Amino acid sequence: MIYSLKHIKKNYNGRNVVDIETLDIEAGCTYALSGPNGAGKTTLLNILSFLSIPSAGQLSFFNAPVVFNEKNLRQLRKSVTLVDQHPILFSTSVYKNIEFGLKVRKTPKNKRNDIIASALKMVDMTAFADADARTLSGGETRRIAIARAMACSPDVLLLDEPTADLDIESRLTVENNVREIRDQKKITVIFCTHDLSQASRLTDKKIVLINGQVHDIYHENIFKGAVFSPNTDEYYCRINENILIPVPSTDKDKIKISIHPGMITVVGRKKTAPDISFSHKGRITHLGMEKDKIRAVIDIGIPISVLMEKSDYDSNGFRINDAVDIDFKRNGIKILG
Amino acid sequence: MSFLVDSFLSAIRLMASLDAALIEIVAVSLKVSFSSTGIACFVGIPAGFALSTYEFAFKRSVITILNTMLALPTVVIGLFVYAFISRNSVFGTYDLLYTQQAIIIGQCILIIPIVTVFTLSAINRIDKRYRKTALTLGANPIQTAGIILTEARFGITAAVVAAFGRVISEIGISMMLGGNIRGFTRTMTTAMALEYDKGEFVLAVALGIILLSISLFINILLHYFQGKMPE
Repeated sequence: MIYSLKHIKKNYNGRNVVDIETLDIEAGCTYALSGPNGAGKTTLLNILSFLSIPSAGQLSFFNAPVVFNEKNLRQLRKSVTLVDQHPILFSTSVYKNIEFGLKVRKTPKNKRNDIIASALKMVDMTAFADADARTLSGGETRRIAIARAMACSPDVLLLDEPTADLDIESRLTVENNVREIRDQKKITVIFCTHDLSQASRLTDKKIVLINGQVHDIYHENIFKGAVFSPNTDEYYCRINENILIPVPSTDKDKIKISIHPGMITVVGRKKTAPDISFSHKGRITHLGMEKDKIRAVIDIGIPISVLMEKSDYDSNGFRINDAVDIDFKRNGIKILG
Repeated sequence: MSFLVDSFLSAIRLMASLDAALIEIVAVSLKVSFSSTGIACFVGIPAGFALSTYEFAFKRSVITILNTMLALPTVVIGLFVYAFISRNSVFGTYDLLYTQQAIIIGQCILIIPIVTVFTLSAINRIDKRYRKTALTLGANPIQTAGIILTEARFGITAAVVAAFGRVISEIGISMMLGGNIRGFTRTMTTAMALEYDKGEFVLAVALGIILLSISLFINILLHYFQGKMPE
């Protein structure tokens, strides 16, 4: 194991942002770290990159317990590189940005050129070596930040939402960079993402973090709302004025729910059976393949992510912008808190 | 009005002739100002960096005191230093009074707070991610400090330029601690005051023109570096 976490906690202002019972991360594998906003993903990456010290618990790196003193952490940081969600490049040339990590590692000057050229080639940015780093676009900055990290030849590359806020072209380029690192460098890569189809495309291994804790399954379609109960055996979560989601019975006034994307029925308007009462009307805004299933995002006033069988998709002939009816199965809805 | 024009023309001729007395005064001024600015940078830049980077007891109080010292009148500093270096005082045996060193000490007290506070402000303005990035790339504290200071270089340069501008144009410290001794501690500002007292305006106007030229140059530098500072 490259990382082994036991009873790791991180407190901020008395709140446990990360509270992990056990988590083992294998060397040479690529992991997708998923979870809703505020789940503790960035905090966990900061701990794994030795930039942040956990409040409690034991962290092992290459099967050796980590001693949290600055000298030791500085040494460990040379094996792990973190690329921030919004990476920043030093106000100098692209070449000098990548050279910094090599200088820190006292790499001989005659070897630096080759390493920098190879790192730039990997992210297809060779022509930018002499460019002023401050003039690069968001996507180019991410790619140079990845090249800068990879030039350090780390054992672990940590990427915090590497494709967030990028256009499709830049996103695909960064995804290709990650894929190449995964396939060619054989290092451990852990990347945060909200995009489950991206996680599926790039890796088979997932770490799901919710409220700082590791979960077996990823909860999607997470919403907060007030509980509404028209009678004693019917409970709903009111997301907004028009959207009521059926939920299991609860004694709370406000709840956070997750809706399993595979437990949502979607039917094209024309095919709606008269005896089925569908609760919400919406339009398809996104369609994509995810392994052998189809992922759709349906806008019913809020975006709902749906995972459907390919046969259902084929039989309905769904297209982007199609008007559809959807219904939530009560057993696909979980109260998270 | 004609006397001003006459003085101005005479001053131009004096400067064009590279008058020895004029050059000597300018040289003394530049020497003490560069010395005090150099020392203030040596102390103030690391102090500003430490204040922005490390947490310690009474940090806010230290910053408040430094901010207060930005408005310290030069005559108060002159009086304060005089109390320590006059013949019968604690450091009287060092014979510092009416020397260039005395002026430099006083000017350092004047501008160390300027350099420190402006450096602190310049570092606080730069993005916190620079430090995190340097650390994740394996940098040690000195290399990390190098990155932070490099990123804040325009702000820090502006601080240094402002500090130099302050000392080159001050008169209280130079007069009280230097004594305006010809060829030794006579600076541009003290010489101008003396020439004014004597009713000799030619040298005073010439020095005024040089001082204004230096101030103009300093301001151009200041605007250049402030323009380069990150938003």
